[in-house]
Amino acid sequence: MNSIIPINSKDLVETRFVLRRHLNKLRWLTLAIVFFLLILLPFLHLYQTYLAANAYPLLSNNEKLIFNTVESLTSPFTASPESDLNNFKGTTWSGTLFGIQLSDPLAILTSMTASFTISTSFLMSALIPVLLTLVLGRFFCGWICPATFIYELNDNLGTWLHPLFDKVGLPIGRLRFSQRLKYLVLAVCIIVTTTAGTVLISNIYPPAVIGREIYYLIVMGSFGVGSLFFLATMLFDLLIARRGFCRYICPGGALYSLLSRYRILRIKRDVTNCNDCAKCNTVCQFGLDPMQDSFGQDCNNCSACIATCPTDALTFTTSISDVKFQGAGHLGKKYNKQGIGNQL
Amino acid sequence: MERRVFWKVLSGSGLAALMAPIASRAGFAANTRATPRFLRPPGALAEDDFLDRCIRCGKCGESCPNETIKFFDFENGLSSLNTPYIVPREKPCVLCMECGEACPTGAIKKIPHEAEPIMSEVNMGKAVINKDICLSYQGKSCGVCYRACPLPDVSMTVGYMEQPTVTDACVGCGICERACIQMPQAIKIMPRANT
Repeated sequence: MNSIIPINSKDLVETRFVLRRHLNKLRWLTLAIVFFLLILLPFLHLYQTYLAANAYPLLSNNEKLIFNTVESLTSPFTASPESDLNNFKGTTWSGTLFGIQLSDPLAILTSMTASFTISTSFLMSALIPVLLTLVLGRFFCGWICPATFIYELNDNLGTWLHPLFDKVGLPIGRLRFSQRLKYLVLAVCIIVTTTAGTVLISNIYPPAVIGREIYYLIVMGSFGVGSLFFLATMLFDLLIARRGFCRYICPGGALYSLLSRYRILRIKRDVTNCNDCAKCNTVCQFGLDPMQDSFGQDCNNCSACIATCPTDALTFTTSISDVKFQGAGHLGKKYNKQGIGNQL
Repeated sequence: MERRVFWKVLSGSGLAALMAPIASRAGFAANTRATPRFLRPPGALAEDDFLDRCIRCGKCGESCPNETIKFFDFENGLSSLNTPYIVPREKPCVLCMECGEACPTGAIKKIPHEAEPIMSEVNMGKAVINKDICLSYQGKSCGVCYRACPLPDVSMTVGYMEQPTVTDACVGCGICERACIQMPQAIKIMPRANT
């Protein structure tokens, strides 16, 4: 027995493979795939238009390149792309994926408040997103939303830029507002759609805007006015409040938050493993406080805090409510100072 | 209908000045002001209901095989932002009805790709002929619009010297306006909103 080299418990934690710690990479992959699809689908549409025109010799060199590329991509999967590619249309706002119609719950809500009518098929298109939200919480915000992909990259840029700003004496981008502000925005948006009778909200909802603008860029040749709005939200995030739009303004996020009030899948802190290092609070995109068990309805289960936790203290759990604050982490200095740790 | 009353009350109180960009919805302001001459996609509901229902997802444009459908920026007011439109002189509609199939909300009706339902359901506008400049009416047999019409002898008939006459069955697809060789065009689509 003495021949076995004693293993430091810290090394053990770092070398053990814990699946949930790698979910954040999977999340980035999902975000990237969704974003890639938003770029790919307009090209599929272009390919369909070239096919419909039946005029390959009339295409310019660039158009031929698009035609050949998309043809080589799709030909293994379909013999009749003119009709089959109709199964892949639209954006995350409302789209068709593998022939299944999916819509953002916000699209349903605002369409209903604008027209006071709704078709059954449109209503059903939000069924899968709503059911998933009731179980998984704001998973759309963290795992699907094409705007999140850009905003998180933008936020990473901010972590590089803000120290530089600090050096020249410009401490910007640190403002915090109430997370409840977004419910007010949602309420105002609903009042406006009801009174104006038109779904204006889709022009200020980043995932809808970005999907549309990518389509405009690829098919029409230039961005529309929505791109300016999106740029403004990025600057807001960078220069005024970190991830400010998603945290404080996004009406869709507000709706998803309300739906995920009693979500089943939650992140929970295991107080016996926590060492109060606060790394989870730093990475939390929504400014929550995982270190003190404060998740609430804003948590989008993005698992960034799980990935960064050095002691694997954060885990997934199934419960319809968060646990109350469990006190200082048992591996932390504060807990040991209180002398509670010594009694165990 | 009630909301229109609401807006009229608002306009009386002067608040409408603040909300004017939003209030410029069809049936209230968009129809009466000078707007770009455009058509809505085939099978679109009446302008008022169309703006009610449209969620600006852009799937109509994405399903259009000819890229006929374009999208408004601010040209037609805030209420029309990102809604689909067609300029027949640039690219007319071939009435393939794919956009209605793609529309998730029913803002564009689902209409089968057959002559009967198209003629009864589609109302994008109506072709109007200016006999003063139409070549056939000037003694030069032309007939291009008739050759181009997807519903010949139904929505457009020709007589002596191929002089065209538009009937009530015209759905306003705009192919005749696109085909007209006269400049300026002797045949144009009057959008339904302006008729």
